[in-house]
Amino acid sequence: MRINNFRMAVALFSLGVFALSAAVSTEVRAQTPTVDPAATQILQKMTDYLGSMKQFSVHTQNTLEDVLESGHRVDLDVSASVIVSRPNRLRAERRGDLIDQIFYYDGKTLTLYNPADKVYATEPAPGTIEELLDFARETLGLMVPAADLVYRNAFPLLMQDVTFSAVFGKAVIGGIKCDHLLFSRPGVDFQVWVADAGQPLPYKYVVTDTGTPKLISITTIMSDWNVAPAVDDARFSFEPPQGAKPINFMPLETSSGSDR
Amino acid sequence: MKTTFKIAILATSLVLMLIADVPFLTEQLVPEAEAIFGVRRRALRRGVIIGSTVGAASEAAAMSNQQAAPAQPQAAPSAPAAPPPAPAGKPLPLGTVVSALPPGCTSTPVGGVEYYYCGGNFYRAVFQGNSLLYVTAQPK
Repeated sequence: MRINNFRMAVALFSLGVFALSAAVSTEVRAQTPTVDPAATQILQKMTDYLGSMKQFSVHTQNTLEDVLESGHRVDLDVSASVIVSRPNRLRAERRGDLIDQIFYYDGKTLTLYNPADKVYATEPAPGTIEELLDFARETLGLMVPAADLVYRNAFPLLMQDVTFSAVFGKAVIGGIKCDHLLFSRPGVDFQVWVADAGQPLPYKYVVTDTGTPKLISITTIMSDWNVAPAVDDARFSFEPPQGAKPINFMPLETSSGSDR
Repeated sequence: MKTTFKIAILATSLVLMLIADVPFLTEQLVPEAEAIFGVRRRALRRGVIIGSTVGAASEAAAMSNQQAAPAQPQAAPSAPAAPPPAPAGKPLPLGTVVSALPPGCTSTPVGGVEYYYCGGNFYRAVFQGNSLLYVTAQPK
């Protein structure tokens, strides 16, 4: 009898403690965001290095997670090769089921070419890569692969509104030993893996949309970094192949275009 | 008997605790979620680069549904774009966007632009962002 009472008291007490600790830990998590200067420093070293390169080429393997209406989780894969020659040349070639196209920018015009459909569209373009990326995204709704890396002042853009960052540990990506960094800001988490010795280049990049319970991510794995690629003008200028037909870009509807 | 009673009390108190926890949880989580959504949408509108990457994810996810919206509902996003069932002899309004041409189109160049004719409609290829789409148009 007494033992039973005692047991019940213990059970209730431990339940109470459990409930209390759960509440406390939620509160602690919500109220103490921390930004680890070590993570920020590595990120800045990487973005400074990328920004300082006159030219580079890189191969990226991009995985876009998707959830079908049936509830099944599928990955959409796009492989992209990017060549950048600052300040005003960029070529991006994407191969995949979702997107199969080549993007050319020569400092004067941009061209999007779909080899399979043999159609292309050309538009006058601004004079620098940074302006080009803004113009492509905001005016044409066009996404250029690895754009996040190409921005010269990527660091303040990446760090904007960041409430949490950490060096998560080390990992080997494509044979390169990297520091694994985690950053969080409202609605978005991102992880970057940066080579821990030699050139501070990124080898993996994951952006997760934390604004929905699906936690959809885009994963980019980078390989074949070349800091001295061939950058002859012909690689950045589009010459329509035989039979290729010109088409237009559909203007973005201002409301749906920027509010996505 | 007394033991049963005590078990019942314990169980009830457990249930009560859980019930008491639920409103607490929703009150805590919902405004937080709204705050996150609000901030996220603002971040995207500013065109922050990470926002734009994530925007691309949702864009890709919503691709076929969204872009084919004026025409016919499309298949699942990653499935190959199914041609819309074009009702023969019933022309679509000009400017209707479809993600793939109906079967059996014939192409004709008019004034340097390639038009595709099928099911009583002329279509013209356009890029909307990175996607190749077809829009009904009047050749001129």
